[in-house]
Amino acid sequence: MPEEGSVKEIPVTKSNGGGKFKKLRAVNVSGGSSDSFFSQSKRSGKNGNLSEETILVKRTLRSGQRLIYKGNIVIMGDVNPGAEVVAGNNIIVMGSLRGIVHAGANGNERAVVAAFRLRPTQLRIASYITRAPENDQHLEQPEIAFIQNGVVVIQRYSPSLLKKLV
Amino acid sequence: MGEVIVVTSGKGGVGKTTTTANIGTGLALLGYHVVLVDTDIGLRNLDVVLGLENRIVYDIVDVTSGNCRLKQALIKDKRFEGLYLLPAAQTKEKTAVSVSQMVDLCNDLEKEFDYVLVDCPAGIEQGFKNAIAGAHKAVVVTTPEVAAVRDADRVIGLLEAAEIKDPLLIINRFRPEMAKKGNMMDIDDVIEILAIELLGVIPEDELIVISTNKGEPAVLNQQSIAGQAYRNVSRRITGETVPLLKLDVSNGLLMRLRKLIGMG
Ligand SMILES: Nc1ncnc2c1ncn2[C@@H]1O[C@H](COP(=O)(O)OP(=O)(O)OP(=O)(O)O)[C@@H](O)[C@H]1O
Ligand SMILES: [Mg+2]
Repeated sequence: MPEEGSVKEIPVTKSNGGGKFKKLRAVNVSGGSSDSFFSQSKRSGKNGNLSEETILVKRTLRSGQRLIYKGNIVIMGDVNPGAEVVAGNNIIVMGSLRGIVHAGANGNERAVVAAFRLRPTQLRIASYITRAPENDQHLEQPEIAFIQNGVVVIQRYSPSLLKKLV
Repeated sequence: MGEVIVVTSGKGGVGKTTTTANIGTGLALLGYHVVLVDTDIGLRNLDVVLGLENRIVYDIVDVTSGNCRLKQALIKDKRFEGLYLLPAAQTKEKTAVSVSQMVDLCNDLEKEFDYVLVDCPAGIEQGFKNAIAGAHKAVVVTTPEVAAVRDADRVIGLLEAAEIKDPLLIINRFRPEMAKKGNMMDIDDVIEILAIELLGVIPEDELIVISTNKGEPAVLNQQSIAGQAYRNVSRRITGETVPLLKLDVSNGLLMRLRKLIGMG
């Protein structure tokens, strides 16, 4: 990851359906929809519309919860089925990714999705959409999804692959 | 001061009412003072499962709207001195009770009882919000099915947001032989997704259906395997460490389960 990306730790406690939560500037975990970050990040990004800002989320996203951020998202926890993560840039999940993810949501085709266990319901990068094959043999290893020659490719994590991608 | 525990699930028909009736009766069997609160307004069931439907005069809405005193609405169980039911209203709307009324009600009940068990309606709307409003703890019931687990996950997220910490999981209607063949989610598949502490696994048991119809919770039936499982769950609620029931599953799985419930 580039040095300029600042990693901030933000307690994301907001969730749909009442309870106490903090309203966060650029982060939004909710059950509803929120598209506002797209216009925000277009203005704030320096590489065209790309933000290198990063948030660290130390919890599991559960069904019905949604996290949207203009930059990179790092999740220390799982993304469960029915949860959704949308980032302007890269998404990294230090756990099982079983929900829906959308990296490079502003159209950045160089964005990647990496997870300790990558088995999303649906995975999107920029305008590309994939879902796991019906009877996929899952690797119990970290994998990275990225776009190559116009298709989403998923490969086992390796240092050389990472080098190629960043 | 008693403990207010809500029994919830998201998905309907997975066994909330069965669980509330059986844990409640199980706790009464152990000598505790217990009240069961049916918050499923318009679809009340708990009275039937306990065999108390013909004794209802007042209900929860009568209490919250000041039509009667709380003591007047509490129905004493047929079998146990320490067991009471506060029935739901059958002919009113879910909105007839507000969140703050529910909080007050739970506050009043916890002064009188060791355990206040709240039977939550299905869904995540007003009835759910009311049911969790006065609770300190939650028991989440699911069956080993993808849709039920998904809804349980949703509910766990909502409980966390409402700051009801560390909900406990009951996996109901488990069928070991189906799980073994890979035709049903296994216990560790469910736990891997929900990642909360397991309170118990209740096997599928036709005696549950019979007992429900008779108005006599299965926990009282020595022949019922589900009843045995609920007796264990009741003891775990009180803080006792009870090994999981030996269902027809591999030892490896049981070992993992023991670890999960802290009996490593
Ligand atoms: N372990 C079990 N074995 C067999 N049948 C069961 C078991 N648990 C529950 N049932 C049956 O499943 C049905 C639904 O159970 P129950 O009414 O407790 O669910 P619920 O979650 O309270 O439903 P609702 O969402 O409508 O309130 C009942 O007919 C009950 O007898
Ligand atoms: Mg019910």
